[in-house]
Amino acid sequence: MKRKTIKFICGGLILVLAVGYLAYAGLKDGWVSYHLQVDEYLSNTKFYSQRVRLCGKVAEDGLVANPGLLSAKFGLVGQTQRIPIAYSGVVPDLFKAGCEVIVEGRRDAAGVFQADVMMTKCASKYDSAEHKKKPEKSS
Amino acid sequence: MTIVLGNYSLCAAVVVAMVAVLVSLAAVLSESTAIRRAARWCIYLMAMLLTISSAALMKAMLDSDFRLKYVADYTERALPIGYKLAAFWAGQQGSLLLWGWLLAVMSVVFAFQHRKRQGPEHDVALATLAVVIGFFAALMVFADPANPFLPNPEAVADGHGLNPLLQDPGMIAHPPTLFVGYAGFTIPFALLIGALITGRLGSDWVAWSRPWALISWLFLGVGIVLGAQWAYVELGWGGYWAWDPVENASLLPWLTATALLHSIVGQRQRGVLKRWTAVLTAGTFILCIFGTYITRSGVVASVHSFGKSPVGTFFQAFLILIVLLSLILMLCRWRALRSERPLESAISRESAFLAGNVLFVLMMLLTLFGTMFPAISPTLSKLPLLRNLFIVQGQSMTLEQPFYNRYVLPPALLAVAIMGFAPLLGYGRMAINSQKLVLSLALPVVLAFVAIGVLLAMGVYSAWALACAVVGAVVVGSIVVDLVRNTRTRQQNTGENAIRSALKLVLGSHQRYGAQLAHAGMMMIVAGIAGSSLYNTSKTLMLKPGASEQVGRYTIRLDGIGQVRGENYTGLEAKVTMTAPSGTHYKLFPQGRMYNKWEQPSSEVAIQTNWREDLYVTFAGAEPDFSVIALKVLVNPLVWWIWAGGIVVTLGGVVCLVPRFARRAVVIETPQPVLAAKSVAVRRVAAGTAR
Repeated sequence: MKRKTIKFICGGLILVLAVGYLAYAGLKDGWVSYHLQVDEYLSNTKFYSQRVRLCGKVAEDGLVANPGLLSAKFGLVGQTQRIPIAYSGVVPDLFKAGCEVIVEGRRDAAGVFQADVMMTKCASKYDSAEHKKKPEKSS
Repeated sequence: MTIVLGNYSLCAAVVVAMVAVLVSLAAVLSESTAIRRAARWCIYLMAMLLTISSAALMKAMLDSDFRLKYVADYTERALPIGYKLAAFWAGQQGSLLLWGWLLAVMSVVFAFQHRKRQGPEHDVALATLAVVIGFFAALMVFADPANPFLPNPEAVADGHGLNPLLQDPGMIAHPPTLFVGYAGFTIPFALLIGALITGRLGSDWVAWSRPWALISWLFLGVGIVLGAQWAYVELGWGGYWAWDPVENASLLPWLTATALLHSIVGQRQRGVLKRWTAVLTAGTFILCIFGTYITRSGVVASVHSFGKSPVGTFFQAFLILIVLLSLILMLCRWRALRSERPLESAISRESAFLAGNVLFVLMMLLTLFGTMFPAISPTLSKLPLLRNLFIVQGQSMTLEQPFYNRYVLPPALLAVAIMGFAPLLGYGRMAINSQKLVLSLALPVVLAFVAIGVLLAMGVYSAWALACAVVGAVVVGSIVVDLVRNTRTRQQNTGENAIRSALKLVLGSHQRYGAQLAHAGMMMIVAGIAGSSLYNTSKTLMLKPGASEQVGRYTIRLDGIGQVRGENYTGLEAKVTMTAPSGTHYKLFPQGRMYNKWEQPSSEVAIQTNWREDLYVTFAGAEPDFSVIALKVLVNPLVWWIWAGGIVVTLGGVVCLVPRFARRAVVIETPQPVLAAKSVAVRRVAAGTAR
């Protein structure tokens, strides 16, 4: 009986350690994805040198999409601020002005965010989420 | 009329469910046959009411009755009839109705099957089924937006139409298949609760629940493969599995159910793993409800999930209820659930089952952790110790695919390896007694070396690919050795020729060989996954008409662009020719479609498939004057093996479902009991199933 208890404690301990390690390793290797809001990003210069994911709305004005040339230029707006985005890659089907997108990339010296991954988050015409398209990843 | 009828029968179903629970419990206490019959009839009535509701919704769909909000939300007049029917389960409300209805129908089959059986465990099982069906009916009636019969507030001439992504044959088959699997696991769970409450924990409840668990496992598996195929042909990113929360939601119960099927074998053959059987039965059902919950409540964002709704609260309450109920009952009966004997040897088939169980549960926990990470990360990132690890705090984060690939795949490969060896092992102490085992391992080991040699010669150096090849060789080798060995034994005993002997062997113990067939199918799936994920080539091209470019071994040429028109869409079609080094041409026609009811374009993938590799071309975009077209081109090796493996696993499962007629026949045909017993023993030896 006693041996069994020890076994159980050992098993439990191994499990806890394993899960803890997983969480740690996952964070260290950057398997965890998160996204910053436009304002949050612009207000903290420590993010400028990092490759990050940005979430915001595609500005209504200044949108130039060339799906055949695999590129799009647009402004990404947050609560109060705005950042220019230059995206190269497959333009997702659901991409359009006013829709919410997540872009991944890095800011260049000129202050333009160079993105090579874009996912559309926007619900299309109808609001139930089943109508949403799978976030389209394209790199 | 339809609205009223559908609504009223839903409400009536809730009432009947409550009555059914009370009557079933009364039957437990009174043990009266009449009350027992009444409980059964309550189940029949409930199924009838839900059938009326479903038929009403179906009719409204076919008639394009847009007075129903659900019909207006998911269909349009121009929608092809098949998709009008499929729209039944395109939304949250319809899927809940489908779940409840499927379970009600299965409960009718179950109640009818057990109509002659006496015993309180059946009554408790019926009560459990009534609670679950009642939960789904009540959900639709009380969690307001979940009701499929809500009237449309505005009068409309035409509906919104079905999402183009869902307009695929896969959409007709995938959700209902999955739901049959989800709902089906309620019956083993109900039998478990019956056994736990009444204390009748012998082998009966396991024997009764085995076919239900097997059927549900099959449907769940087929549903998962259909879903993977739908994603592959429809979503256009060239993969079939993205570790999306809802994909995971269907995988979780499949993992525990696979372990459950093996525990059931262990319990029936040797009386071991009883606690595992009980825990896995409850766990699988809980994960099915959990899967429905995360799919249908919006707790984790995903392709399939719907916006947040009060449905989530109902599901949380129900989940807590069933988890607590299962835990308390199992703790109370923990002693009674003890195995009849300890594990006698570390190298035996039952130990292999145990190891498999541990691995499957481990995979399940890891997948669950990853799936729930977006929900738990805001809290995790605020904890004092972990705080510094996160760049941002308090935000929902997602674990990406590498996490799953690194942690879930190794135990999976190990489980597949055990799957290869286990059938060669005997039960109990017999397992390691002999040089026989060493002899039987010879062929698999030789095959493994050959496989490594061939792959290295082909220039394949990836550790994953080599590991998969070794495991594959072991699995195939073991199946062959097992078959040959048992055929030999049978031949020596009966003097038959080899072919006749092998045939009779397989027919005589078809459940064992059905399992072997399923194992072979699993191996095909593993090969397909390894090939397509390790050796795919992907390239995004910008092509002018007439231009060509190289992708892997193939030359891809854009011949031109044409217009296409369907019943409810118009679009562009790229005419593409892919030329292999051998000079073989393949014509592919990927399309970019605009559906009448949808603002955004939707791409239609073109796939050329054979057993070696798939050519996969997606229409990625076009300039307004069609001067340049963007195409995404993938060459995916061995994908065909995944779908073929799915079919083989299913066939194997179906073979396992066929009851054992042969043995019964033996007992009947021999009049004297002593002789009969002897004859059975002889036949068992002959059939190679002797223990």
